[in-house]
Amino acid sequence: MQKLNYRSHSLVPYLLLSPTFIVLLLFLYWPSINSVFLSLFKQAPFGRKRIFVGIQNYINLFQDPAYLNSLLRSTLFIIFTITIGLVFSLLLAVILNQNLKGIKFYRVIFFIPYAISPTVAGSLWVFLLNPVAGQVNYLLDLAFNIQVNWLTNSFFAFLAIIIATVWKNMGFNIIFFLAGLQAIPDSVYESAEIDGAGAITIFKDITIPLLSPTTFYLIIMNIIFSVFESFGIVDIMTQGGPADSTNIVIYKLYREMFINFRPGIAAAQSVILLTLVIIVTIFHFKYGSNNVHYQ
Amino acid sequence: MKKTVLLVLVSLCFIVSFSAAAEEVTIDFWHAMGGHNLEVVNTLVEEFNGSQDQVEVKAQYTGSYNDTLTKTQSAVQTGTAPHIIQIYEIGTQMMLDSGIIMPIEDLGKEVAGDNSFDWDKFLVPVSNYYTIDGKLNSMPFNSSTPILYYDRDAFEEAGLDPNRPPQTFAELKEYARKLTIKNDDGTVERYGFTLGIVGWFVEQMVANQDATLVNNDNGRSARATASNLNEEAAVRFVKLWKEMVDEGIMLNPGRGWDGANQAFSSGRAAMLIESTSSVAGFTENAEAAGFELGTGFLPRPAAANRGGVIIGGASLWTIADHPEEELKATWEFLKWLSEEEQQVYWFENTGYFPVTKAAVEREMNNKFFAENPNYLTAFLQLLLSKKAVSTQGALIGTFPEVRQIVEESVEKTLEGNMTPQAAMDEAAERVNKSLKEYNQLNE
Repeated sequence: MQKLNYRSHSLVPYLLLSPTFIVLLLFLYWPSINSVFLSLFKQAPFGRKRIFVGIQNYINLFQDPAYLNSLLRSTLFIIFTITIGLVFSLLLAVILNQNLKGIKFYRVIFFIPYAISPTVAGSLWVFLLNPVAGQVNYLLDLAFNIQVNWLTNSFFAFLAIIIATVWKNMGFNIIFFLAGLQAIPDSVYESAEIDGAGAITIFKDITIPLLSPTTFYLIIMNIIFSVFESFGIVDIMTQGGPADSTNIVIYKLYREMFINFRPGIAAAQSVILLTLVIIVTIFHFKYGSNNVHYQ
Repeated sequence: MKKTVLLVLVSLCFIVSFSAAAEEVTIDFWHAMGGHNLEVVNTLVEEFNGSQDQVEVKAQYTGSYNDTLTKTQSAVQTGTAPHIIQIYEIGTQMMLDSGIIMPIEDLGKEVAGDNSFDWDKFLVPVSNYYTIDGKLNSMPFNSSTPILYYDRDAFEEAGLDPNRPPQTFAELKEYARKLTIKNDDGTVERYGFTLGIVGWFVEQMVANQDATLVNNDNGRSARATASNLNEEAAVRFVKLWKEMVDEGIMLNPGRGWDGANQAFSSGRAAMLIESTSSVAGFTENAEAAGFELGTGFLPRPAAANRGGVIIGGASLWTIADHPEEELKATWEFLKWLSEEEQQVYWFENTGYFPVTKAAVEREMNNKFFAENPNYLTAFLQLLLSKKAVSTQGALIGTFPEVRQIVEESVEKTLEGNMTPQAAMDEAAERVNKSLKEYNQLNE
């Protein structure tokens, strides 16, 4: 059998990679470069007039209290959704990792929220949190005799989108935690038990460290989810309100572009967002494999 | 040989189809009428298409008003713009500045050379809004104003006269107080009043006090450069809003229309301010819920000047960049829409005002108003409005943004983070900044 000489076909690998490159170039790099270019201009609606303003859009953004507030809100939103989301998902994953009858059925139930669209999820939560007819307030009223204005109060609205986002992403997190849990060999647990470790010690000193690659991956994915995918939930539930309390960066960007018709400043916002995501990704590649305990 | 025959056949097919197409001009019409109104638009379009064989109108629902505007922007940039687009009233200045439109009056008079069209056929408050620089720029289509809706049975229960809705801010408060029912544990069973946080209501309340929203005669004598949001008219209304919510006699249903509508329809609130285009819906709901619906004019502070309401809704704009033949066809369709029959059909099926005098006259004569007094309230309020720049409506290039700013300020006030004056000062400052940037780009 003749062995293929790849050296003489130096074009072949490039040829094979070209479809990917073309797609990336057309749908990722070209628009990104365009955004950077657009962010240096102020543009009238319908693109009739364009004024070069240099980095003025960026300067304006960082001097705008509303944008700084939006960055702060997004950071808080990310921190809370990830902490609450991962803790809950891990606990549920541990429960779902048992050999119960019909366990597959339960697993599917917990995965469903991830499979439905953000719009549907948002609408569901709007119904549930309706101050008059919603189930959540009905139960709160029965149990504690309180009525919460979920979507018309800044604090509770912020809480509401966190709850909805956590709920929505839980399926994804649980699946990965389940896979991580099942990859931990029983022998490790058995030897720990022989050494006399209790359930809590085992969970704390064996399960959590051995899950750390999964956890790290999920943190990165959840940051990206919370930044981009929560758009649908915010749009349906609060539209950034009340009083800007849920106006996270991605929603603010949308409004700037599609309601205020300011492509320049919207592009500047997307460039900032892109930079932040690049930083997170670099962080992922650099520290992902070093500081995480793999088996 | 076979090939030649085939070729001839194919080319024949092409020629035939082309000549067929040449007979009928196709017009694209993008609109934002969803749900029930979508069917009404489709019925009208089908009727027009069936009534003649020269013009074929293709109506397409393109999402909300905002979506339609966004889609138009991208369509213009890719050269695939439709002939007619429905744009909400607050997009008027932006459309004028867009450089892509053909004023409807130019279309009718110059392109179509139509001398028989009566340009005075429109209701004055309606044509006033869309007439800028002495020219009607777009075809008035769906028009509405806000009115006060109330539960007549609840009025009687509370010892109020159901034939006398509140007329002043003080009365609104007093009535709401009487209509509110509180449970023993402090929770509210029924609120006296509710209002969705929608910037439109603030605009209307300002006009109702004969005040303007922006300087330069509401942006009509020259481009607006400064906002009047922090002046008495707007602040007074926001202050009333806050006081009533704080007192627990007014329900804050959050931003948008749905929450307030739901609260009123389900009896959680006894009064509500909403668009006249909802008369039919509310009448139906009231019947189902077993109460009698009442309507009244918007209240105003006792000390304020008498102004009136501004026409809301949307109008139809023509995009200029099309062959003359297609523009002529566009005119045919728009003209047809403004005819009496179509106007009456539109009004009776959607609740939006007919925009022509003839249609109103006909509804008056055939006792439609006598049988449906709530529709009459809407009309009287509009026709009794003072003819002034205040009720003509503001022209602001960044109006959609201004509405958002106002809504945010109302929310900040209701949350107690800011006093009404401070919140409206902030709003005015943000609007001024936005105006400055817009004007810089559109000089």
